[in-house]
Amino acid sequence: MERSSSKAGNGQASKISASPDDDQGIFRRAKRSIDDLITQARRFRLKTKQQELLIRVSALLLIYVLAFATRLFSVLRYESVIHEFDPYFNYRTTLYLTQKGFYEFWNWFDYESWYPLGRIIGGTLYPGLMVTAALLYWTLRLLSFAVHIRDVCVLTAPFFASNTAMVGYFFGKELKDPGTGLVAAAFLAICPGYISRSVAGSYDNEGVAIFALLLTFYLFVKAVNTGSLAWAVASAFAYFYMVSAWGGYIFIINLLPIYVLVLLVTGRYSLRLYVAYNTLYVLGMLLAMQIRFVGFQHVQSGEHMAAMGVFFLMQVFYLVNWVKSMVEPKLFQAFLKIAVIVTGGAGALALGVGMATGYISPWTGRFYSLLDPTYAKDHIPIIASVSEHQPTAWSSFMFDYHLLLFLFPAGLFFCFRRPTDATIFIMIYGLTSLYFAGVMVRLILVATPAVCLIGAIAVSSTLKNVCGLLREKPVGKVPERQGKDKSKGGSDQSIPFQREACIVVLAGALYLLTSYALHCTWVTSEAYSSPSIVLAARQSNGDRVIFDDFREAYFWLQHNTPPDAKVMSWWDYGYQITAMGNRTVIVDNNTWNNTHIATVGRAMSSYEDEAYEIMRSLDVDYVLVVFGGVTGYSSDDINKFLWMVRIGGGVFPVIKESDYLNNGEYRIDAAAAPKMLECLMYKLCYYRFGEVSTEYGKPPGWDRARGTVIGKKDFELEYLDEAFTTSNWIVRIYKLKPPANRK
Amino acid sequence: AMDPVEHAVRLIYKGLRPPRMRLRSLVPELPSPMTAFFLVLASYFLVVSGIIYDVIVEPPGIGSRQDPVTGAIRPVVFLPGRVNGQYIIEGLSSGFMFVLGGMGIVALDLATHKGWSKNVRMSFGLGGIAAVVIAYAMSVLFIRIKIPAYLH
Repeated sequence: MERSSSKAGNGQASKISASPDDDQGIFRRAKRSIDDLITQARRFRLKTKQQELLIRVSALLLIYVLAFATRLFSVLRYESVIHEFDPYFNYRTTLYLTQKGFYEFWNWFDYESWYPLGRIIGGTLYPGLMVTAALLYWTLRLLSFAVHIRDVCVLTAPFFASNTAMVGYFFGKELKDPGTGLVAAAFLAICPGYISRSVAGSYDNEGVAIFALLLTFYLFVKAVNTGSLAWAVASAFAYFYMVSAWGGYIFIINLLPIYVLVLLVTGRYSLRLYVAYNTLYVLGMLLAMQIRFVGFQHVQSGEHMAAMGVFFLMQVFYLVNWVKSMVEPKLFQAFLKIAVIVTGGAGALALGVGMATGYISPWTGRFYSLLDPTYAKDHIPIIASVSEHQPTAWSSFMFDYHLLLFLFPAGLFFCFRRPTDATIFIMIYGLTSLYFAGVMVRLILVATPAVCLIGAIAVSSTLKNVCGLLREKPVGKVPERQGKDKSKGGSDQSIPFQREACIVVLAGALYLLTSYALHCTWVTSEAYSSPSIVLAARQSNGDRVIFDDFREAYFWLQHNTPPDAKVMSWWDYGYQITAMGNRTVIVDNNTWNNTHIATVGRAMSSYEDEAYEIMRSLDVDYVLVVFGGVTGYSSDDINKFLWMVRIGGGVFPVIKESDYLNNGEYRIDAAAAPKMLECLMYKLCYYRFGEVSTEYGKPPGWDRARGTVIGKKDFELEYLDEAFTTSNWIVRIYKLKPPANRK
Repeated sequence: AMDPVEHAVRLIYKGLRPPRMRLRSLVPELPSPMTAFFLVLASYFLVVSGIIYDVIVEPPGIGSRQDPVTGAIRPVVFLPGRVNGQYIIEGLSSGFMFVLGGMGIVALDLATHKGWSKNVRMSFGLGGIAAVVIAYAMSVLFIRIKIPAYLH
């Protein structure tokens, strides 16, 4: 039980013996009462161990609050609103779960998206996030806090980010010592690489999945270190949570076999590793099959075969080792030869039969493009078009990691110098995840915990050594060397000005860590806290101007169109239209049907009459486009047009990309290709735009996002009517005219 | 009855003799930890310099723009405007700075090693401090050039 040393005890001042009433007596009495108070207070002074515990617990509490608080910028600036595109789908499903219950949720068939195909939501999502938020909501409701489900969803990610920092502390403690754990937790709490996907409002799978990932890894390393079955079972359940939360669980199920292989090769195998891996694999695989979306992939999919292969290899390995301990060497050599041949043959045969019959499916495009980064660019334009899937440049690394980029190689050095099972794991995790982060920007998130932990090892080790040097008592006299010992290079081994140099190094470390904190806060505030459903810009006089056009358009849709209206737009906006506009869409962000998306792409890039035929066949009532020409918003549909052409042209050869290019470039000014000026997307975006003056001193029809005047200003739409344009022209909605014989 | 190919092979091998060689076992021995560390460091340098970006997007080694006044072509080292874009040379130089900083910290820690002589420790210490200072200052300078609004 701790007692704070700062409070005085139940102040019982001892009686002061009577002394003469003069000034000296008063002073003496005062001094004695102070001395008595100090003696009382000393009784409550903590021992060093308790002091250390107090410091650690208060540091962890502060880190917990910090991790939560730094993610609240957008809630404080705008409001508690869900950001981006994917979170709107997650919000809609969580809402459905809390309103209708589990049975309806698992059996939900959604006819409001992917018209006319529909989508089996119950079997095609990862339920971990929704169930977590729903459980939090029900718990809070049980404690009679009347919260709205939207607020719970918005704040789920920061809550789990704080929990991740705590798991980071325990992991660091496991790797080295509690000091490393504290530094790791502090790094994790504010690292921008993690904040980017777990800010308040970013209600996406990664917010919960990174917590599950780090928890699984921590529990597994603990199981390997202790060899206890309990920790291994716990890690299997953590793996189950990870599988339910995110498709990135493939990383875990492939990293663990690599780790096991490395340990076997370097001769660090032991019974602890056997217990840990086998329990996690078998129990985790059985639990993972409970998620409908995953199903039997653990035995059927090529991406999971590495784990199974290593599982069997491990059995053979340990069997061979056991036989080796029982039998004399010559017989063992023969046994080894036979065992290797039989195992190799059986494994190759099984793999060959599995792949030939098609039972084991090959690697899917999304994960294959991680091994061969050029694959997506040539073969799968949908994957190549997502901006998060672009490879990473050095500035993204610096932006998201800052100081950790310097600490990572230093931490690796410390790990290599004194490898243990746990540090080998964190090194493999760090190196593989950093390579994948180099292939895709979005995977910087997965590498963040490893980079933070290895950086913490570097900081903690260096600071410990420097502080140890600072603390050592200066040697007064050089002790006489007796005997024939010759010391190398001077008898005094300590450096001159050692204490001063240590203080300089410590001050430098303080400066670097402070600048890391400043950088992280600046990045969070400026780059990662925009809700992207609400756009903000700075005017010339410094005022902030807010564009709320998206919500304006979606609410217009909700209030001014018939409830069974179908809206065609590019797939980016599908989730938002369904969640906020409450209307049926043709394609949305799930992108599970490439042909359907290609049909929409073809419609957008065809002439108006051809597009009208396609849209009538899809039963479309309204078309929605996003246009940034008036505001300068650069993520609009004209800038995404090249992907519509490529994806549409990938399925329908009638769309040829060369028709839209002028000299290899997409242009919309007077030098544009003729088909570009006539296609549906151009017409819908620039209808009536030729009369609008967007910037002082520029002619009417000046497109601020492209920086030119548009090529064709004066034209009429034959098959569509303009239904609604938002106040800043960002979202434009058009209604299809009925066919000529139906008017 | 012998198959003609087998006949031919037997004839050939009547004259041939296998050479006397001492073949070692094919199992490679593991590299020492420090060798592995340097390999890993080299791969870290390449990844952090954005080599995968270079291979896929194929940017030029260095950019260029035309001077509006003189009309001459001036080189542009840092790709302006986006955070996730680079030229090859700017990537490599930034990667070098990161590795330099990391090695500086390693040198600093080695300077605290008790067993070595005074001069070695001092040079490690001073070299480490210099490396970290240079690397950090250059990295911040690079990011300031690339993102003009940095820390404002």
